[in-house]
Formats: sequence, structure tokens, C-alpha cells
Amino acid sequence: MSWRQTKDAPFFVGYLNAVPKPLVTFLAVFSLCFAGGLGLAALALSSTQNDPGNGGFQWGNRFEHVGLLELRPYPVLRVPADGDTPARTYMLAGQGKRGVFEQAEANKGSPVSLRGVPVNRGDLTMIQVGGVEAAEARFEGGFPSDAVPLGRWKLTGEICDGKCYAGAMRPGRGLAHKACANLCLTGGIPPVFVSSGDVKGRNFFLMADSDGKLLGDELKPLLALYIEVEGDVEQLDDLMVFKADLSTARVLK
Amino acid sequence: MSVQYMPVIWNRNKIVYDAVLLIAVALYLYVYIRVGPAFEDVTRPIDGAILRMRAFGSCAFLMLTVILCIGPLARLDRRFLPLLYNRRHFGVMTAVIAAVHANYVLGWYFNFSPTDQYVALLSSNTNYGQILGFPFEAFGIAALLILLVLAATSHDFWLSFLGAPIWKALHMFIYAAYACVVLHVALGALQGPGDPIFTALVAASVVLVSGLHFVTGRMEAKRDRGEQTAQASLQEQGWVIAGDLDEIDDTCAKVVTLSDDERVAIFKYDGKLSAITNACAHQNGPLGEGKVLWGCITCPWHGYQYNLADGRAPAPFTEKISTYRLKLVGSTILLDPNALPPGTHVNPIEFGGDS
Repeated sequence: MSWRQTKDAPFFVGYLNAVPKPLVTFLAVFSLCFAGGLGLAALALSSTQNDPGNGGFQWGNRFEHVGLLELRPYPVLRVPADGDTPARTYMLAGQGKRGVFEQAEANKGSPVSLRGVPVNRGDLTMIQVGGVEAAEARFEGGFPSDAVPLGRWKLTGEICDGKCYAGAMRPGRGLAHKACANLCLTGGIPPVFVSSGDVKGRNFFLMADSDGKLLGDELKPLLALYIEVEGDVEQLDDLMVFKADLSTARVLK
Repeated sequence: MSVQYMPVIWNRNKIVYDAVLLIAVALYLYVYIRVGPAFEDVTRPIDGAILRMRAFGSCAFLMLTVILCIGPLARLDRRFLPLLYNRRHFGVMTAVIAAVHANYVLGWYFNFSPTDQYVALLSSNTNYGQILGFPFEAFGIAALLILLVLAATSHDFWLSFLGAPIWKALHMFIYAAYACVVLHVALGALQGPGDPIFTALVAASVVLVSGLHFVTGRMEAKRDRGEQTAQASLQEQGWVIAGDLDEIDDTCAKVVTLSDDERVAIFKYDGKLSAITNACAHQNGPLGEGKVLWGCITCPWHGYQYNLADGRAPAPFTEKISTYRLKLVGSTILLDPNALPPGTHVNPIEFGGDS
């Protein structure tokens, strides 16, 4: 504690090689504690990280299907039923943080063969589109089917960018991911609502505004937060679409 | 001390200091990136880029915590003083580690987009009006910029070029950097799913840094207010009672507080007394906590030296500090509180041999 130097106190002069003996011992112990403390902290921090989920690119399971490209309002590929396999609707994203609006506009309404890589997390599948080509195909039996309204719902959860959450950048949610999610949505990646409860067994929803149109900057303040919001839910084959009325949105935490 | 600015003048102490630092940092990163994941309870391993950015980010935070604790620890226990020596190396290494963290963030979260990385970083989240979802990246950028400026100006060339007061004021921004880092973490990583260990470490860091500074601040204030404070004991035409001869050990000093920013160190050596300002011309180190080595006052921080009678660094060095006049009445030391111009010769007071 003393600020008064004493004759017997060891005195360290940095540019001299000789270090007083009591200080050598003290500094050696400190160095060991410093290095060991950092090592222990690293082990504690690294080994207790939260589970980022099991999403990821399915590189070994390439996607190639013939279907119709639709804007709902984000690009989706609608694949007709085939035998026992019911019709499916896939959300689409481009390479990196890009959407596939151009391809969807260019091929709107005509059959296409779409190749890509699925990014998958549980029931949520986003296709990273590799190529889109016009295809010779005839769809019978009223395909594509209309969306089935499931009524108005109040959902709690988080708005994420669908691609990162599906596994491109795990965990792809939470405030630490907010800026990345913003950048993804600006680039055209479809937003998804990840709900804490489910609607007909599904807890993620492709998002649209209350009129079923594209969402814009009004989404940004709500992104990556735990919110409550009302809106109409409709079913598009196996995909749920949430027409969120953002004027009802409330940040919960 | 040096008369010219050499890139690095190495000695064994510097090498050992840097080696310990490097080993500790390398150990931290190795354990975090290679060893820790083996003990994780996760469905799939954490992505490599995220693991590395977390490792480097948390390492920089802990290093900054230790850097800020060294100062008050050295005030509380002088055995920590050697850690002050080369603390600038510690700071530069922290800036490098923080820059690597930022680079991983840029290359991961702000990459793969048609938007330029740096534009994306600044424009992706601009919700500055809300606390939840506040662009915590801004605090990280501010902290990194401060750390980089401090690292770039850490060399003695800048100390000499800017002068000790400005250099010192500039480097006090380390506290702003720390505050920014705490906010960066508090509004970012800590808002995620509960991570009690990381939360506890950040809280412990804030408590430790604030607590140590609070304790040392109180200690200094108490000293300034103390009964022995010469400020209040003016006698004999402005002379100040500085204490008793026996209070001072040979080759050591007693520090007398004249006012908030003026302290005088009275040294006792070879049966003589001399008084100089307490502030070293190098980094305002506390000269009175140093010792007389080879006939010179030696600063405890970086070993800068001054002659006792005139406060001038021995040739070929050119630093000068203020001197003061002394008087001895019996065993009571009296001090003239008016500082003499730096480098002014004052005959030492002789009291007849070692005591």
C-alpha cells in the first residue's frame, strides 16, 4: 500500500537485465497465473457455447426439380405432386446474400428445371439456386393449387433471414446476427418468421406484408428481436406464409 | 532512456515480457479454437469463422481488462510495477487481436454480398434510436479505432513529439475504448441466449477494473487529504513542513502533496536531501516512488534518471525536471513550495551522514 519507497524494497529497472530475486518469484507466479487463467477462461468460454442448431448446406443432396416459379411475394418453386409425394413449395435464395427475383421474373408462369443446393434446418428448407432453365413439362390437375387461408394468428417469435437461419450461418438468429440479417434481406433473401408456437405443426413462415406484398424497411427495427405480431396465415402446399400486420408488432424482449 | 529513436532496443526483460504475453495469448486461442470445442454439447460444431471471431474478440476483451488493472495494482503493491514496463507492447498486441476479430466479422457477416464490406458494416443496421437491436458494431468500431491510434502512437517518438501531457491525455482514451468494448459486448453477444460464463466474465471484468480504480482513487485522495499534507501547514514565510528526517529511508524519497496536480519528492541520500517534482518528464511516472541508483533519481516506471542537485538527466540525455529549495530545522524538513525552472541547480541540504 505504501507510496513511500523504502531502502529494502526490491526495485525493478526495466532496461537492466538483473531483476531483484523476490520480484523474480512474484513475477513468475503472476505469469503462470496470467497464462493459466487465460487458458482456463478459454476452456470455460469455448466449451459452454450455445448450440447453434443443426442447420447446414446439404452439399451431398443436390436439388433438381421441375416446377413453376412464383412470387409469393418472394420467389418460390412449386413442385407438383408425384405419386405418393404431395406437392411442395420451396423458398429460394441466390448465391451468397442475394435473392433470385430476376430469374423468377424472367421465368414467371412457365415450367422450369431448377438446380441448387438445399440449406436445411428441421422442416425449413431454402434452396440456394444454382441454375434455372426452361423445361418441357405439362402440369395437370389444377396445379398449382391456390393458397389455403388458415385465419388470423397472433404469433410470437423472431424475424430472421431464411437462408442464415436455415443453416448458411448458424445460429443465424439473435441480436448479434441483426446486421447480417439486414444485409441478407436487402440482398433479396426471403425473411422468415420463426415462431415459438406452431400453426398446423409448422413454426416457421415465409413473410409478406398484410397485403401479401414485399416487406420493406419497416421490417428493420423489428428484425432479430423477440416480438409479438398479428397477421393472416395461409398454406401454400407444405409452406406457411405469414401476412404480418407490422402495425400490431410489439417487442417483447 | 534513449537519445535517438531506435525501432526496438531489446533486452532480456523485454523479451521475457513479450514471450509471456505471446505464450498466454497463443494458449488462449489454441484452447478456445482447438481444445474447447471437444467439450461442447452441441448438435453440430460451431462454424469455424464464428469460433475464431469469438476467440479473438473475447481474448482482446480479457487482455484489455488486464491492461487496465495493471495501473491500480502497481499503486496498491509495488511488486506489480514491472508489469507497467512494456505495457505498451501489451496494448499493441491487444489492438492486433481486436483487429483480427474485426476482420473475421467483416469476412463472415458482411461478406458474400453485392454491397461492399465496409459499406455493409456501416449501413446494415442504423437503428440508433433503440436499445434492443442497437447497432453494437458501432461501439466495436470506435473501440478498435482508439486501440489502433493508441498502438500507432505508443512509441517514444510520439511521446516526445506530442509532449507528455498531450500524449498522456491521448492515451487516457483507453478508458473510452474499454467502455465502448463493454457496450459492444453488452448490446451484442450478451443479448443472445443465456451464456452465464461469458456474462459472469464480463461482469467480473467491469467490477475488477472499476473496483481497483475506485480503491486506488480513494487511496490517493486520502493521501492528499492526510494530516501530513504540507499544503495546510505553511510556516516561516511560505515554507512548508514536509515531515521528519527519519521518515525517509536512505536512497528513497517522501512525496509531499502541495496541490491536486503538484507533488514534490524529497530524496535522502549520502547524508543529503534534495527535492524535485514527483512527475517524470517521460510519462509523468511517480519519481518519488523510485530510488537513487548510481547517484541518480530513477523512475520506477521506465528507469529514466535525473541528477539530484539539478533535476537534469545525465549526459547525453536532455530531459529536465523542476527542483525545489529545502531547509532543515532540527530534524524537521521545510520545503519552499515554489517550483524552480526545470534543471535549476539547488545545493543539497546536508545533515551529517547516513541515518
